[in-house]
Amino acid sequence: MNIILDHWHLLLPLLLGALAVWWLMPVGYQRPRIVGALAGIGALVVLADILTPKSLAAEAAVETVLFYVFALGAIGSAALMVTSSNPVYGALWFALTTLSVCGLFVLQDAPFLAASTIVVYAGAIIVTFLFVIMLAQQAGATNYDGRSRHPVGATFMAFILLGTMLYGLQLAGKDVERIGKNGPSATMSRVTGTRSELTVPAVVDGNAAPVGTLHGLGRALFGDYLFAVEMAGTLLLVASIGAIAMAPRRAQGTL
Amino acid sequence: MNTINGYLAVGAILFTLGGIGFLTRRNLILMILSAELMLHGVSLTLTTFSKLHGNNEGQVFTIFILTVAACEAGLALSLILNLYQKSRSLNIDLWSLFHESDLPDPLSPEERAPRPLPESTYENLPKLTPAGRPLELSRGDRKETATNV
Amino acid sequence: MSESTRDLILWLIPGAPLAAALLLALTGKLIWKYKSHLPCAAAIAVSFVCSLILLFDILPKTWAHAGEHAEHVLSGPVVAVGYNWLDVGSVHVPIELRADAMTGIMLAMVTGVSLLVAIFGSGYMHHDPGYPRFFAAVSGFVFSMCMLVLSSSYLMLFVFWEAVGVCSYLLIGFWFRKPSAAAAAKKAFVINRIGDFGLILGIFLIWTTFGSLRFDEVFNADRLQTLAMTDPQLITTICLLLFVGAMGKSAQFPLHVWLPDAMEGPTPVSALIHAATMVTAGVYLVARSTPLFMLAPTAQMVVAAVGAITALIAAITALTQTDLKRVMAYSTVSQLGYMFMALGAGAAGKEFVGFAVMAAMFHLFTHAYFKALLFLASGSVMHSMGDVIDMRRFSGLKHALPITHWTFLCGAAALAGIPPLAGFWSKDEILAALFSGATHGEHRMFFAVILGIALFTAFLTAFYTFRAYYMTFHGPERFPEEAGHHPHDAPPAMAWPLRILAIAALGIGLAVGPTHLFGGTFHHTTGIPEGEHGMNFLMMGLSIVIGVAGWFLAKVLYVDKTDVPQTLARQFGPLYRASYGKLYFDEIFMFLVVFPLKGLAYLSELFDKYVVDAAVDGVGKIPGILSSAPQRLHGGFVQSYAFVMWIGVLVCVAFVLQALAGM
Repeated sequence: MNIILDHWHLLLPLLLGALAVWWLMPVGYQRPRIVGALAGIGALVVLADILTPKSLAAEAAVETVLFYVFALGAIGSAALMVTSSNPVYGALWFALTTLSVCGLFVLQDAPFLAASTIVVYAGAIIVTFLFVIMLAQQAGATNYDGRSRHPVGATFMAFILLGTMLYGLQLAGKDVERIGKNGPSATMSRVTGTRSELTVPAVVDGNAAPVGTLHGLGRALFGDYLFAVEMAGTLLLVASIGAIAMAPRRAQGTL
Repeated sequence: MNTINGYLAVGAILFTLGGIGFLTRRNLILMILSAELMLHGVSLTLTTFSKLHGNNEGQVFTIFILTVAACEAGLALSLILNLYQKSRSLNIDLWSLFHESDLPDPLSPEERAPRPLPESTYENLPKLTPAGRPLELSRGDRKETATNV
Repeated sequence: MSESTRDLILWLIPGAPLAAALLLALTGKLIWKYKSHLPCAAAIAVSFVCSLILLFDILPKTWAHAGEHAEHVLSGPVVAVGYNWLDVGSVHVPIELRADAMTGIMLAMVTGVSLLVAIFGSGYMHHDPGYPRFFAAVSGFVFSMCMLVLSSSYLMLFVFWEAVGVCSYLLIGFWFRKPSAAAAAKKAFVINRIGDFGLILGIFLIWTTFGSLRFDEVFNADRLQTLAMTDPQLITTICLLLFVGAMGKSAQFPLHVWLPDAMEGPTPVSALIHAATMVTAGVYLVARSTPLFMLAPTAQMVVAAVGAITALIAAITALTQTDLKRVMAYSTVSQLGYMFMALGAGAAGKEFVGFAVMAAMFHLFTHAYFKALLFLASGSVMHSMGDVIDMRRFSGLKHALPITHWTFLCGAAALAGIPPLAGFWSKDEILAALFSGATHGEHRMFFAVILGIALFTAFLTAFYTFRAYYMTFHGPERFPEEAGHHPHDAPPAMAWPLRILAIAALGIGLAVGPTHLFGGTFHHTTGIPEGEHGMNFLMMGLSIVIGVAGWFLAKVLYVDKTDVPQTLARQFGPLYRASYGKLYFDEIFMFLVVFPLKGLAYLSELFDKYVVDAAVDGVGKIPGILSSAPQRLHGGFVQSYAFVMWIGVLVCVAFVLQALAGM
């Protein structure tokens, strides 16, 4: 009993969140979605209590506000994408999720990543998916889209995993803060027991490459990880060949 | 009581929601999108750690994830189109044939019946020339292609 | 004669039939075919000649060497060492041949009768498709019997005891496609086995008591005497166990039921095995173990009692049988009972043992000839009558089959004990031995009863023998249809053995009995004490009277007043039926032994099917049961599989969490 009370910060959001997601799932008939929405918002509010950043002090205010906006956007869009009964709407919600996540990337000093993610995902992947949906399912929502497979079981197991992950993060919370303040190495080696050999040296040639700048990223990418880059390129080539090879042959006039 | 880094929490939540979507939906496209959502969550986590550790490793990893996600999406679509050609539907239940021989077929026979082609409500849709094959035109079509080119 | 020649002759006696058996078994069907009798007869002839040399040349030389025989003399037997077979701890059993006087006599008889039977068989089995197999088995049998008689230790004797049983099985079940023949062969073998159980236990006991199995070492005089004083019960037990084995092999009550059924085999087989040789192996065993039996009068009395009972019940059963061969079979059982009665007569006292054993062996010797003759003559009748042997279906054959007729008559008279034929002398000696037992010694009443049974059985013997004779050869001439138009008498291959055996039946008793030729030779056997050679004229006279009375009664009932037997049968209905039904022994065995075993087998089958098989099947079903739960995870939906993966991820995360928390 005490355990539950000790950890109500975690358990309550999990419970509310699970309820919300379960309620919102398509089950063949229309449930009032407002209930699910309220439960979800309640979960997020309670969870926000134990999240950082949360101070509204001057220097961190912008970051905090932006964080909450983007986080809410990401989670909300993701939930709506997963529970929508029209696949086209789902794809669009996914686009919104991608935008929010990219916003979070920017807040984490990864502007290049944000840009490239938007380009690749929202620009290419989602569009292609929408093409296929248009091609294959012109009716929009079908009967099988309106029913989900074992909603309770999936939700339950998923939120248990989420609970364990959040609990782990909470346990390691002190160390995470310390990493944030002091930098890497000491804590990392304590957690993993080894010292990574691939850390970027602190100073290389005068202008230390800060995190996230294009310059620094390019150095890391084409400097330390050149081989991996080449492999990635080969992978893309192979994948495109594979996609062409696997594409169905079509008779004249049909797909 | 420690706090949880918000970015990491969001990453975990996105991962979980993606998992729920993959496990629950029956539409092939939505399943792939949910997988991509899981990748988003992971990317966010990696980027956060990259900033926390003060180096670029996490971002580099995320770039590679992006690359792989792109390949994966292409190949997945190719597969989906193959499956669609065979079953005329994006329902994954139709592809549940690899079950244990003792267990009954998961779908009922009427659900397995091949769906008819959707009636095309549009006649005379313009058709693109298939790559690599010569276009066979009848006499009447020649005029139209002349104008459509 | 040098030692190596002597050894060679000794080894040839069993060796020649063995070679013939192997030759015929391997190449008979391919090469010899219908000439298979040639190697067989040649080999047995070689054996016969060698055994004659042994008996008349080699052995007498050893007696001259040894000089006077005291009671427990060990030197004397001729030993040809072969191969050191067992040398384990204290057990030393070589394969060696040991020949003394008893051996010599038995070998001469066995090989002689076998030779005549082989010649007879070549005529009798003439058109049989299993011709090579027959002679291979006969050669094998002669080999086994010779080795049995020549064995030097109880273990070797046991090995060839079994070998003789196997050959008997092969020969009884010769026409194995006939279900009754196959069943009879099995019955013989199984009942023999029951006896062998006792024999094996006896051999074990001998080993633990004496530390050795060789005859010469077991019959060590001093050892036996000490044992007799300290632990006579042990010797009695050993003797009784050995006798159980003899009961099985020699068809004594209650293990006699196999012999009449063994008539399913060809008649030469019956003549050889069930008249002259195999069934006498039991008598040989008991006679050979005389030094042991001498010290256990209780065992000897049991032997005599069993022999008497057997003789009586077999004679009673033979009174009413209609199958000629069955009558002869029961007669064999009865005569074997006589031999055991004689062996048991030594219980009267140590001074009577020698004579008693000699009387038994003499009767064995003469019985071999006239019983083989009777069987062969029956075979000749059967051969002429188209394989019909039921006496009710033919009669008056004396003009159609003259040779068979007069040879059969010789044999019948010998069996009935008409002087001066062979059977008379030997039967008289047995009666004399029993009379000595009834008048001297410690168990007079007992032996008086046995003597009375013996005399009564002699009467019955004479009666049923001549009943069979008259039913077959006298009366109106009647042939069954299977005989064809004109039944022909025995061909020369069959006729000559009959003639020779008839001459033996006529003369051999006279030749070797009263002249003490037999007794004199016999008492050179080591271990057998010397006995008195008296001729008991009272018993002689009594047996003549009884024999003639039996003959006369048979003549009256079956020649003069042929309707009387039917009336008698009706009047004594239950007794007649009991006798005809073999005194219901087979039924008693079925009830006491076969049904319980069948029930037990059925229960075992049920146990096997429902317990053992169910357990094994249950074990086999366990994987299915265990897997039926996880099996539902494989419904075919990709998302189910993903679900399981998800749970796996959960477990991994939980594990990491736990590691983190631990730190």
